[in-house]
Amino acid sequence: MSKAEKLYQERLQRYTTAMECGKPDKVPITFPLGEWVVKYTDTTIQEAYYNFDRTTEITCEIIRDLDFDLMYSALNLWWPPMFNAIGSKLYKFPGIHLEENSQYQYIEEENMKPEDYDEFIDNPTEWLANKFLPRINEEFANPGSYRATAALIKSVAAFAMANDKSAKASEKLAKEFGVVPYGTGMTKAPFDTLGDALRGMKGILLDLRRRPEKILAACEAIIPHNIAYAMITAAGDTTLPCFAPLHRGAYPFLSMEQWEKYYWPSLKAVIEGLWARGKRMFFFAEGNWTPYLEKIAELPDKSIVFVIDATDAKKTKEVLGGRFCLYGGVPTTLLTYGTPEEVKDCVKRVIDELACDGGFVLAPGGVVMSDAKRENIFAMIEAGREYGVY
Amino acid sequence: MLADTLSKAMAELEEEQVLEQVKERLGGGVAPLAIVKTLQEGMVEVGNRFQSGEYFLSELIMAGEIMKGAMDILEPHLSGESGEHKGTIVIGTVKGDIHDLGKNIVIMLLKGSGYNVIDLGVDVPKEKFVEALQETKAPLVGMSVLLTSCQEAMKETIEAIRGAGLDTRVIIGGNYIDETVKNHVGADYYATSATDGVKVAAEVFGA
Repeated sequence: MSKAEKLYQERLQRYTTAMECGKPDKVPITFPLGEWVVKYTDTTIQEAYYNFDRTTEITCEIIRDLDFDLMYSALNLWWPPMFNAIGSKLYKFPGIHLEENSQYQYIEEENMKPEDYDEFIDNPTEWLANKFLPRINEEFANPGSYRATAALIKSVAAFAMANDKSAKASEKLAKEFGVVPYGTGMTKAPFDTLGDALRGMKGILLDLRRRPEKILAACEAIIPHNIAYAMITAAGDTTLPCFAPLHRGAYPFLSMEQWEKYYWPSLKAVIEGLWARGKRMFFFAEGNWTPYLEKIAELPDKSIVFVIDATDAKKTKEVLGGRFCLYGGVPTTLLTYGTPEEVKDCVKRVIDELACDGGFVLAPGGVVMSDAKRENIFAMIEAGREYGVY
Repeated sequence: MLADTLSKAMAELEEEQVLEQVKERLGGGVAPLAIVKTLQEGMVEVGNRFQSGEYFLSELIMAGEIMKGAMDILEPHLSGESGEHKGTIVIGTVKGDIHDLGKNIVIMLLKGSGYNVIDLGVDVPKEKFVEALQETKAPLVGMSVLLTSCQEAMKETIEAIRGAGLDTRVIIGGNYIDETVKNHVGADYYATSATDGVKVAAEVFGA
């Protein structure tokens, strides 16, 4: 076994122990990959998004001398060519719609109309293929036409290329640097599936008052879809947790009453469905989830990795600690606006507060901003090793 | 508490009742501007309830929809009447950022409180802000931003406004904004919730 392979096994063990709420030899630490890396290279964000090989190169360059366990996220999570090939209206990318050093942006529209609910509920997959795809992709506006067929083939080919490149990049990071990915596969809360790209924020918030029963029926119909999606995108892997970016469930988008009735039951059903298959959810609770901690505690023990962003860390430890692995603790704002000294103090505090009896991963609480400072990220990783030995 | 049944229906978000009463009052000869004023009182109450934690985002958005429905009925009757307002405010999302939900909620509450709001939209270049301020002589300009990477655009816009010799008060608004960001970009006020924005407007216009 090579040195890197040995490191990989050690780090995987560390992470697995933490996910099982146990106490590993050291607190596992996450390296947050993101657009912030680009400004320390001679690359533009446009190139980092589009040129997969270059992205892997700059990733390897920046992590070369660092000692951490997990890598979170990817720079080309949404590889633009697969969207460009089919004329997607969902995103704006640098170099085409935005200047070359901008992050991509998401365009939220009401892509599903109120009158689409019944057809969607009846068969979500069929509705997505026949109605949704032509609406969100300019080149696929007329399914069956020569233009649409060519665009679909190009986009699917790009998707396959992206998956292949991404698998190879992971393999390289594992084999040469012993880096463990934080997760495999992706899914969402059914309410977010409905509220993100289908009805949009405004649409779903109005539905809460105008047609609440349709929301409930649609979320119910999405549950099996989202369980399957997680398992398919993870290619069946159950060692690592499945990423679930949770959006509209953050406080205060919804009132307590709305959250309990419309957001939580179907998300809980997805988590339980995955857990029955041995798959954990990486509960990416961006924003503040403090008011909902008691409800989240109803989940089966160890079925999620709970990510602490702006949620009250002390309260999280009180309510969820010991039963679920906690992850995060370092505010993303500190990584942008703070100094290495402040980051170090924060890491010490976080480890004292959250890591004591195990079941904890040190990481930024959310997506690191594109203007984060390298010295702060490095300080987080170094302090994590300094203070994080059990 | 609100005495008028229309203000009350607006505050309670009773969409059908609001639209019905607006039509009834119009038909009964009530001045359209008086009806708008009554609706605004309901809207102010919606803002109060949001601030106290009784209402959430979906209630704010719903209130905006109801107001829009009512204004669609009223607008054809409003032409010619002098629109009284408390003052003009220019508002937009800064260059590089295309988020508009927060901006639109603030606009709705400001209009509801009786201000004339000029909406420049999203991804607004600094020149456009300056031009709009020179044209309208608005004493207050609002800049919305969600992406931290667009902070410099905000700073440059404020510099451009000052550079053009305008002493317009500047309020910046967005989820991550605080005192540090306010000082960094050189703004006069900041707001992290829509109701804060309304309070600042009241201060600036002495309303």
